[in-house]
Amino acid sequence: MSTVRLASITKHFGTTVAVHEFDLEVADGEFVTLLGPSGCGKTTTLRMIAGLVEPTGGRVWFDDQDVTFLPPRARNIGFVFQTPALFPHLSVAENVGFGLSVKGARKAAIASRVEEMLAMVDLTGYGARTPSQLSGGQQQRVALARVLATDPRVLLFDEPLSALDKNLRESLKFAIRELQRRTGKTSIYVTHDQSEAFAISDRIVVMNGGRVEQIGSQTEIYLRPRTGFVAEFIGANNALPGTVVALEPVSGTSGQSGEHRFRIRSGELTLSCRSRLPVAVGDAVVAYLRPEDLAVVDDDGAEYRNVVEGEVERVIFEGPTAQLRIRVAGREMRVDVGGSRRLTLTEGDRRVRLGFDDLNVVPADTASADGGSGGSGGSGGDGSAEPVSA
Amino acid sequence: MTGQTRSIAPLRPAPLAVLGRGDAARRLRTLALLLPAILLALLFLYYPLVFIVQMSFTEGSSFLSPGGPIATLANYALIGGRYLPNLLVTLQLALLATIVDLIFGFPFAYIFVRKVRYRTPVRALMVFPMFGALYIAFGMRFILLPGGPATPVLQALGIASTDALFSLPSVVFAMSIFTFPFMVLNIGTALGNVDPTLEEAAACLGARPWQTFRRIVLPLTRAGTVAGALTVFGWSIGTFAEPLLLGSANEQRALAWTVYQRGVVQTDYGLSTAMGVVLLGVAFVVTYLSLRYSRGALVE
Amino acid sequence: MRSSPALPASPLPAGSRPPAAARRPRLSSRRLWDALSHAYIWAVLVVFILPFLALVGFSFTTRPGEAGVVTNYGYVLDTFGDNLLWSLKISGLTLLINTLVSLPAAYAIVRHSFPGKRLLFSVLTLPLYVPGAVIGISLVLTYNFTYHLTTSMWGLVLAMALGTFPLMLTPVVVALKDLPVIFEEASACLGATRWQTYRRIVLPLIGPGVSAGLLLCFIIVFNEYLVTLFVHPPGLTTAPLRVFNQIRTAGLAPTTAALAVTMQLISLAAVLLFFRLFGARHLKGTYLL
Repeated sequence: MSTVRLASITKHFGTTVAVHEFDLEVADGEFVTLLGPSGCGKTTTLRMIAGLVEPTGGRVWFDDQDVTFLPPRARNIGFVFQTPALFPHLSVAENVGFGLSVKGARKAAIASRVEEMLAMVDLTGYGARTPSQLSGGQQQRVALARVLATDPRVLLFDEPLSALDKNLRESLKFAIRELQRRTGKTSIYVTHDQSEAFAISDRIVVMNGGRVEQIGSQTEIYLRPRTGFVAEFIGANNALPGTVVALEPVSGTSGQSGEHRFRIRSGELTLSCRSRLPVAVGDAVVAYLRPEDLAVVDDDGAEYRNVVEGEVERVIFEGPTAQLRIRVAGREMRVDVGGSRRLTLTEGDRRVRLGFDDLNVVPADTASADGGSGGSGGSGGDGSAEPVSA
Repeated sequence: MTGQTRSIAPLRPAPLAVLGRGDAARRLRTLALLLPAILLALLFLYYPLVFIVQMSFTEGSSFLSPGGPIATLANYALIGGRYLPNLLVTLQLALLATIVDLIFGFPFAYIFVRKVRYRTPVRALMVFPMFGALYIAFGMRFILLPGGPATPVLQALGIASTDALFSLPSVVFAMSIFTFPFMVLNIGTALGNVDPTLEEAAACLGARPWQTFRRIVLPLTRAGTVAGALTVFGWSIGTFAEPLLLGSANEQRALAWTVYQRGVVQTDYGLSTAMGVVLLGVAFVVTYLSLRYSRGALVE
Repeated sequence: MRSSPALPASPLPAGSRPPAAARRPRLSSRRLWDALSHAYIWAVLVVFILPFLALVGFSFTTRPGEAGVVTNYGYVLDTFGDNLLWSLKISGLTLLINTLVSLPAAYAIVRHSFPGKRLLFSVLTLPLYVPGAVIGISLVLTYNFTYHLTTSMWGLVLAMALGTFPLMLTPVVVALKDLPVIFEEASACLGATRWQTYRRIVLPLIGPGVSAGLLLCFIIVFNEYLVTLFVHPPGLTTAPLRVFNQIRTAGLAPTTAALAVTMQLISLAAVLLFFRLFGARHLKGTYLL
């Protein structure tokens, strides 16, 4: 078990920057996920931690040991690939025992360890089979057993579930987390699937274009995205670009220490917002509002910091919730409602009042190029949503 | 912050899957792996070839003589003069064999690729010619012997045995048997890449079989066919078993045999190496053309 | 030419019934074509093995004054036994050298990156395109004057290796290309050294490709007579060369035919064994298929 530290890890392929000065500290036993769209550099980073790719700059540390230029075999790691990569000419038992046998362990020791590992992944008795006789999910479990057999100090996962079908992914991701908890191994996991990352990680690193957008827990990333990319990649979001017009005195009633409150002007709307970062009047920002944070109010909505009115343009009934497209001040916003409300609202309802609390903002230059088309970014969760234009 | 910066000065290009440290160590490893092959080729092909090119410009066996080699162009002059028939016969035989292979090989390849299901027995039988032109020539000579098995058939056709045995046609025939599988392979590969539905589409549009063949199949397989023809030609210029065993005095002048006679038997090194160089030249031209046509895509 | 900008009206009046189905002709032209096609294939195949069969037949005859049939083959083992052994020995050594030379080179070509790969591959496969007589004359002269290899069997072995190692290189390159890198990466991450990965993962998985190369080289070298004629050391005559010499000096003899038949049978056995063990697909891209 060891800590992993990345100091300014950089990777260039020719003139392309795949990873740019990536810093990360992973605590012993922690489960960290690198989350981002394809091409964001997450897999390259993982392979640099493994030693399969040599970094162009920066250093990798396992505990006190500088492993930056150490070949993979000397790092004592476990790497789980996207495909199980089980050696087709070896049996399951031989696969699982491979790491031990190349180190010269004795047959008896290998055999008992193999038994142990197979039991851990619920595949006792499968030792004599060949990989071709197993299903995709079973193969991936054997791959897990194989990397655990050598008692590595760091586990690395490169989108191990993306090749499996949906149900298998569900069960297997929790199995992976369970195994990690039981063995207490420091793990770094790569995926583009947001729900996967949220389900099993201690911390999440959101990456884009070779850079880190935000590092934090699930709640931090979801509720307090620091950049436009994070706000839009994670879950669905309504984007409201605007300008800061007034600052509110720091009163501390909301209980969030260090948060600034202010007003912005977005189109015809004046909205109350908050942010950890200091803002000045005249700053360009983008305010983000999650569909579930908008509530349909019948009264004047005094309990909300913000109230707007709009017309229901579309109702998409999803079962437990309904997605509403509501036009507010010339802008289309997505609102998710549950409960009985989802049955009563219909298209054409004119005067629907929506209430919501302080909006989270990010600096305007961190939003995507077109000024923020809110929508469901990273896959997972709400696949049926359509992008909502600002 | 999210702006993509791409203007960083290019660093040294990164290798593919890296499993070790340091450029130098990696390059050394690559070199070590390639060295045996490179050495073998250099020592046993390239240097000897340079050697004989050198020698082809010397006179006779003067390379050995105490006085040192005498430079001359006479060898090449001889090839253009007295030995021109040898060269011409060699080219003629190879050309005819290639044509025979094309005529008979194309239908064979076509039927094999499109219609035959029992591939394995065919493949098993197709290996026979590859065991060597020698056995083919040997077998054919036996068959065509006066008083041998073919005599009744030949008599029925009104051909005298001796005419059939030591003649150009039998040499060409034997040569074409040997190279037939290579031709079929090349054409077959090209044909295999042609979607059969194209031919069906042409037929549905009303094309007759010959039209489909000429306008659809032939152009699409041109590269493979040409590559096959050139390969066969290149292989055929260097043979001597068939001309020797089955040919009349004319065919026995095939250059490959002359090289042996003049070079090893009569130690006229200058002349024989010059002939070798000429053969090499023809082979290179042919190979270059055939590789251009087949776009040697193995190492992409 | 069928293009017409405006389609003419269909000749059939709208709503008319299609004519009654025609009766199938008894001997349709398509079936005739099919039969002819298959007949053609078989005719060609018969021509292929006709020389072989002729030799088989010949080998079972006796010349006046000689002993019986079985002794033709007995003769093969006796008198020609040495030649057969030499052929096997030379083939074996050549295969060994080819393996030692091609396997590392193929690995470097496929898995390493360096400039001029295509050029190198062309340079290495060039021996295939050089006429045998040219290889023969160049090597015999070089052996005589520079390397002084004329009396050693290694001269012959290396000549054979030079002529055939490209035939080994190609199937191995193809096999390596078909092997996903991920297996080697997984092995490295599990702690195996480069050599361990090669020996335990790569080699077994490219085994069929390597065997295809071995088969090809064996067939060519075992039956080689042309370059052998040029470079063989005195006293070392391989079986095919013996056949050649016999025909030229002693004419056609049943015993010679028996030797030729034996050689071909051994070669055929090798091919069939390979097909049995590995199937035909690993010979893709080589000259055999």
